[in-house]
Amino acid sequence: MTVQADVLRVLDDVLSLGGRSASFTAATPLLGAIPELDSMAVVTLITTLEERLGIIVDDDDIDGDTFASVGSLVGFVQAKLGG
Amino acid sequence: MAAEAFFLPAAGGQRYCLFHPAAGNAPRGLGTHVTTCGVVVHVHPWAEEMNKSRRMAALQSRALAAAGFAVLQIDLHGCGDSSGDFAEASWDSWIADVQAAAGWLETRHGGAPLILWGHRAGCLLATAAAAAMNTPCRFLFWQPPASGKLLLQQFLRLRAAAEMQAGDSKAAMDRVKRDLAEGRAVDIAGYALPATLAQGLERATLEPPVAATSVGWLEVGSGQDPTQVPALLPASLPRIEAWRAAGHTVHASAVRGPSFWQTQEIEDAPLLIDATVAVAALL
Repeated sequence: MTVQADVLRVLDDVLSLGGRSASFTAATPLLGAIPELDSMAVVTLITTLEERLGIIVDDDDIDGDTFASVGSLVGFVQAKLGG
Repeated sequence: MAAEAFFLPAAGGQRYCLFHPAAGNAPRGLGTHVTTCGVVVHVHPWAEEMNKSRRMAALQSRALAAAGFAVLQIDLHGCGDSSGDFAEASWDSWIADVQAAAGWLETRHGGAPLILWGHRAGCLLATAAAAAMNTPCRFLFWQPPASGKLLLQQFLRLRAAAEMQAGDSKAAMDRVKRDLAEGRAVDIAGYALPATLAQGLERATLEPPVAATSVGWLEVGSGQDPTQVPALLPASLPRIEAWRAAGHTVHASAVRGPSFWQTQEIEDAPLLIDATVAVAALL
């Protein structure tokens, strides 16, 4: 749950959602569903997750499936955090 | 006091500059000026981060001018309103532009302490320009990157992200890296990135100068607890220690605010503006 809270806070900051992420659940679709999530925002999102959570994202990880939904992104971050 | 816009002649054309005179600093007699607190060259970030941070750079320049600093903003070769395309720029031409900006201020305010104020890639350029100049420089860093290599990687990832929905990210990233390695320019996010510029950035590090100087190191963040001051990035701590170990005085702090150089909307970080004015006075 805390990882999801961290990810949602980063999403809100990076995409300038102004608190809209409070209504997001694991099932909320991201890529293709949130207009703010363009390629620039995806890269900023990755960078910010790396900086704030101390994870390292490989270039090969940059994949549509990872950013499909809140749940897939949280799962990806959890796997990077080692659990 | 109103800012003065002008073009500075430089290799391959001219550079757009915006000069913010120090407050209360009217010309006296034969064009001589009262001493300012210091002169500041702003060195902008690169690519889209420059566009996103333009508003904050202007707000900060005015705040520093009001606090008694003379500030010169310069659009580097191929950026903003300067001549040339991004495709014609090189890391060395950018370093030369920073030197030219410092030289212009020296002519106007000879002897005033010089501060190179860099933001993101601009921090790397500031230290490189300082190494190439004989003038002692102090530094103001906004969110200095761990390395130029990391900035380049972030930029190249734009291509992977753009191809994500087509499911072609990995192949696109491989193609971009191969093109750069073989000396060809690549098109990313509307920028034609020449291989020479990519290589210059990739090699750049935040190298401390030989002579001891003072540095203001400022970051913005948003920690877990909104009532607490955010911490410096973990990656920054060993680098700050390295500068201190090399004999430099580093005033490092983080303030609460958005990462305005990359946020989706143009945002302000007023606490950073206040912190920058405060730290500039200590340099």
